[in-house]
Amino acid sequence: MSETAATALDKEDLRRTVADVLDVDEAELTDEADFVENLGVDSLMALEVMVVLEKKYSVKLGESELKEVTCLQKAYDLLAAKLQDAA
Amino acid sequence: MITISGIKRILPHRYPMLLVDRVDELVPGERLTARKAVTANEPWYRELSAGATDEQHAYPPVLLVESWCQAAGVLAAWDTPNPDVLAGQVMLFGSISEVVFHRPVLPGDVLEHRIRLVRALSDTVIFEGEALVDGEPVLEVGRVVMAMRPATELTEAAAGHVVADQAVAAARAVVTDRAVATN
Amino acid sequence: MPVRAAGPVQGTPKVLANGPDLVAVEVTVEPGEQVFPGHYPGFPIFPGVCVVEYVHLGALATAPAPGLRLEAIESTRFLSPVFPGDRLVVELDWQRKGGSWRCKATAGTGRGRAAAVRLRFAEGSAR
Repeated sequence: MSETAATALDKEDLRRTVADVLDVDEAELTDEADFVENLGVDSLMALEVMVVLEKKYSVKLGESELKEVTCLQKAYDLLAAKLQDAA
Repeated sequence: MITISGIKRILPHRYPMLLVDRVDELVPGERLTARKAVTANEPWYRELSAGATDEQHAYPPVLLVESWCQAAGVLAAWDTPNPDVLAGQVMLFGSISEVVFHRPVLPGDVLEHRIRLVRALSDTVIFEGEALVDGEPVLEVGRVVMAMRPATELTEAAAGHVVADQAVAAARAVVTDRAVATN
Repeated sequence: MPVRAAGPVQGTPKVLANGPDLVAVEVTVEPGEQVFPGHYPGFPIFPGVCVVEYVHLGALATAPAPGLRLEAIESTRFLSPVFPGDRLVVELDWQRKGGSWRCKATAGTGRGRAAAVRLRFAEGSAR
């Protein structure tokens, strides 16, 4: 599977992707909703989200960075920073 | 290459649920290729009707996934083989995602499982890959997450269960044996 | 009843409800299931993929259209182990998804949720 070009970072597209992996409705996945506390997601699934995002946006995240992301806004900010470094 | 006896030192699975026959290639921490031959004598075909069609001999899709995951299990466990499930760490399935079945697998086919390690974290490993028959993809695996957990997580759950349901399970076992014996 | 396809599990899910607001099936995981001796010797745990197989059979038993064929396991989360003798209750939710059907299901035992499964079915026989 060849690496596709890095997808442009769009928050609504990000929301759709994360909601699909977490198997929750997009409406529930507000910017600040905590994956574990508010959406009842287990830590394994939160980790899985980050691995999916790594592949989709072709960025590399450290284990600690992966574990810091607990809501959509944090995912967006981390990816934005990573993509900016890469640019 | 790892032969069947080697696989048995790594995986706790045994007949009829040991669904990996040989590991052809292993790059620790990176990728693995393994094979499993499908024959007409698999136990899953025992209850098929006499006139069953080829279509009805399609290898059960969930077992294609199990076979692939056991191959992934060899890659995951290569560094810490633990055939004794009751002690130490045990590898538990967390999740399986985006698995697509491309075409039926029939007796006579040899599955070639290709496993790639996507991410290895302190207590979790994530794999992806596919299975091929004669070079053609039959199964695609988007993501399998395995978590290494202390075996006690299982044994405590089992212990709690056994104490409460032991009588019921034992009674059922008698009934089931009689039922299995008669039909 | 559709002709039984080859499979690792020996129970047959019984439909408890198949109405607009609840679709559910139940099956007891008998200690005599053929997978237990090998999974694992001396420590029988019902394989996660066999829980998925019971969800699959339950889906076929409550399918909204005839002749559906399992095309994909979109996601499966294994939440707690299933043991011999457990009574598995599966709740299913069918939705149209483009040209195919999606079935979202949760399977539970007396101890709580065992697995959350999302399957996708195609109409008609294999290509």
